[in-house]
Amino acid sequence: MIVDFNLNEKDYMVDVPPDMRALDLIRDVLRLTGVKEGCGRGECGACTILVNGKPFNSCLLYAVKLNGKKVLTIEGLAQADGSLHPLQEAFLNEGAVQCGYCTPGMILSAKALLDENPSPEEEEIEEALSGNICRCTGYKKIVTAVKAGAKVMREKV
Amino acid sequence: MAGKKSTIIGKAQKKIDGIELVTGRARFTADLRFPQMVYGYARRAGIPAGKIKRIDKEHALGIPGVLDVITASDLPGPNLIGILPPFDQPLLAEEEVRYAGESIALVVAETRDIAKRASLSIVAEIEPLEPVLTVDEALKPEARKIHPHGNITFSRKLIKGDVEKGFERADIVVENTYETSFQEHAYLETEAVCVVPHGDGRITVYASCQSPFHIRGHIAVNLNVPASRVKVIQAYTGGSFGGKDDVATEMGCLAAIAAIRLNRAVMIVHDREESIIGSNLRHASRIHYKTGATKEGKIIAREVKILLDGGAYASESPFVTMKTLIHAAGPYNIENVFVESTAVYTNKTYCGAFRGFGVPQVTFASESQMDELASELEMDPLELRLKNALKAGDATATGQVFRKSVGLVKTIQVIDGKRKHVQSKKLQDEERWLYGTGFSCLLQGISNGAEGIDVVGASVQVSQDGSVLVGVGLSDMGQGSRTVFAQVAAEVLGVSMERVTVKQVDTESVHDSGPTIASRSTTVGGMAVLKAAQEVKNSLVKMAALMFNTREEKVVLKDGFASLYEDDSARIPLDKVATAAYWNGFPLMNLAFSKAPDANYDHQTHQGDIYIAYNFGTHMMRIRIDRYTGKVEVLKHIAAHDLGKAINPQGVEGQVEGASLMGFGLAHLEEVLYDRGIIQNPNFADYAVPGIKERLPTETVIIEDYNPTGPFGAKGIGEPPVAGAAAAFANAVADATGIRFLRLPITREVILEALRGKQ
Repeated sequence: MIVDFNLNEKDYMVDVPPDMRALDLIRDVLRLTGVKEGCGRGECGACTILVNGKPFNSCLLYAVKLNGKKVLTIEGLAQADGSLHPLQEAFLNEGAVQCGYCTPGMILSAKALLDENPSPEEEEIEEALSGNICRCTGYKKIVTAVKAGAKVMREKV
Repeated sequence: MAGKKSTIIGKAQKKIDGIELVTGRARFTADLRFPQMVYGYARRAGIPAGKIKRIDKEHALGIPGVLDVITASDLPGPNLIGILPPFDQPLLAEEEVRYAGESIALVVAETRDIAKRASLSIVAEIEPLEPVLTVDEALKPEARKIHPHGNITFSRKLIKGDVEKGFERADIVVENTYETSFQEHAYLETEAVCVVPHGDGRITVYASCQSPFHIRGHIAVNLNVPASRVKVIQAYTGGSFGGKDDVATEMGCLAAIAAIRLNRAVMIVHDREESIIGSNLRHASRIHYKTGATKEGKIIAREVKILLDGGAYASESPFVTMKTLIHAAGPYNIENVFVESTAVYTNKTYCGAFRGFGVPQVTFASESQMDELASELEMDPLELRLKNALKAGDATATGQVFRKSVGLVKTIQVIDGKRKHVQSKKLQDEERWLYGTGFSCLLQGISNGAEGIDVVGASVQVSQDGSVLVGVGLSDMGQGSRTVFAQVAAEVLGVSMERVTVKQVDTESVHDSGPTIASRSTTVGGMAVLKAAQEVKNSLVKMAALMFNTREEKVVLKDGFASLYEDDSARIPLDKVATAAYWNGFPLMNLAFSKAPDANYDHQTHQGDIYIAYNFGTHMMRIRIDRYTGKVEVLKHIAAHDLGKAINPQGVEGQVEGASLMGFGLAHLEEVLYDRGIIQNPNFADYAVPGIKERLPTETVIIEDYNPTGPFGAKGIGEPPVAGAAAAFANAVADATGIRFLRLPITREVILEALRGKQ
């Protein structure tokens, strides 16, 4: 089946088996490995991608469902010149990254939140990131980073 | 050198590998691809105990895409993992199955899906044996022996003073039995290895791991090849916490055997379920404590009996047993101590290293008992701890005396100073909420200690452009050790962090430095970097002195220049100095070693000098419990640790926050549940890893009591907070409810049930 979609601002037409997961299309076929598999059951959020701006667990999504959609992965977040997105900067500066395996999904979930809601309350941050597990950081610095990123993003607008 | 003016040591530093991680460019093992790469998938036993009668591969081999099925009889070597004596663990079960998650065959196929499906097509005839599922069953004289040498994995005693005489003098004795359950590491990246054969007898192994040299050694033995032909590269590793040691070794050996048989690159990546059922857990424990004190609150005797459920294989049970033994008395000065610790085999997933290494279990029990004693004495819990706290010059439970860096009292005092403010906060809706505060004190040994040799080799190399390359044989699994190593080298050589690169660990480019465990990276590894950097610095200073036409003592390296102490304006860029040093034949690379002093230790009584330092800590947790639902809210958590010197304070906070939440998980949320030897919750829907809503409001207090055995005075902090947070939580629940819970986890359901029972 043909999937015709936009991934990180580039158009793709790919012939995929009907049972292929979006995760495998992106990782194995298109070789963008920033999207991670942590559980394969939609329980950890490591494979989060944004589809038309909304976060999805790509392990639970069939690749064909991306047809006609606009998809963002962590590789598409930094500027073309390599300058980091404010959330990436904030995660780095605030020490919100340890092993980094949850980080791409965590940052994308945070981006989806901030695009909708530039000044979220702490509870709203919790809610938006509640599907993303991090085993290293204890989350405190992640919350701080999302707030710091939000501030920079607000000032840029 | 690292004086007040340092802009590197003691300053928050961004992770040196952070950019790759936030951009998704970091390559973890499962991200790698090689030409003609194929996939391995293990068939697991599915029952906890049985005799293997027959394994029929034919059906699986007939499936299109299946290339090979490997069973124990196909293995070229001794079929052995088990990273430490008694070396009791096979790569693939041969005659007997000892836990349900045990691998009995490996399927190799063109795709991972095919390999996985084919693994289920293997016909395994296993005659079930009655599984031995509890420690009590295993210890019965008539119990079936899980291993030929019996069901006791390891047992030792620690004897200090005369505990019987101590109890005779005691005015008050408290006694209780505590239990903790199995905990899963739950690193976000499951275990993965990829082995690439080169056709000339060499193989390269990419692994998510924490001990690349263990993997190399075991592959060499199991393939009967020289270790020098095996190169293990630690790929970016998505957390480990003690977990990616034995299992990475097992997977590395299996993938290497398959890669040699097929002459193809072989990748094995675990599912989440395999990661939980097929790799080591934290030991469940039952711990009996008896503590005797004078009526003034001086503890004079402590007797502890520890039983650890170690599952089917020894793994690191012997060392965990020793660690519980050494830490059971707590961070207190007690004249008479007797501890007996025993690890026992059962037909369950094997237990091994897990952040804290037995210390969280004994600390929970010990600190619960401290509160019970305080209550009997009608004494304030912090006052009791302060009265008994270890100080510089006191003897630990092993009789070791530290003259320096025993900062426990300071951690207690700082918590004491903060508690009034925390506890004076107005209580809301007391009809619904039960408020409570819990304290805990702990110590955690830093370095391998007398449990094993502790040597780290580090290389520092300065290029002609003045940039610095550091190589250390210890793994960064996310904790930030590479950043700390870079800081140490940058400080010594007077360059900015941007000028320092720390190698990815591979066994061809760094010295075997043993496993990355025991909170030893910063302390032992950092010291090796310090020494190597100083040697190279000597060359640069010597060269600069020649260039300045002055004496070496007058030269200082800072900000990327060699300059004169008395005249900052006279300076030469470091690249010029390095280039000149090169042309003069001065060595610009050094391999230095940091070795803990030989332990002076009696393994019969466990008396003597064991660690190079201890981390000391005090935690306070303020909670409230909804009396109608059992729901717990943590209002405040303060973790004060004496860690000698915070090289990277932001990294320290990250370790304290992350380890504390792991301890909180152990104490409140997490439990690997078994039913007749089968794990019932091998996924994140049923196994409760703390999420963002369960996060702790941890406030880290850094106490710096200079440690002479660490770089710039530093001591490790990776493990200690697990124990502190778990124990403080248990005491907070007891304070809030008036009920002493004796088993972890103290879940919401357990609390609610107890509250109902109390009514």
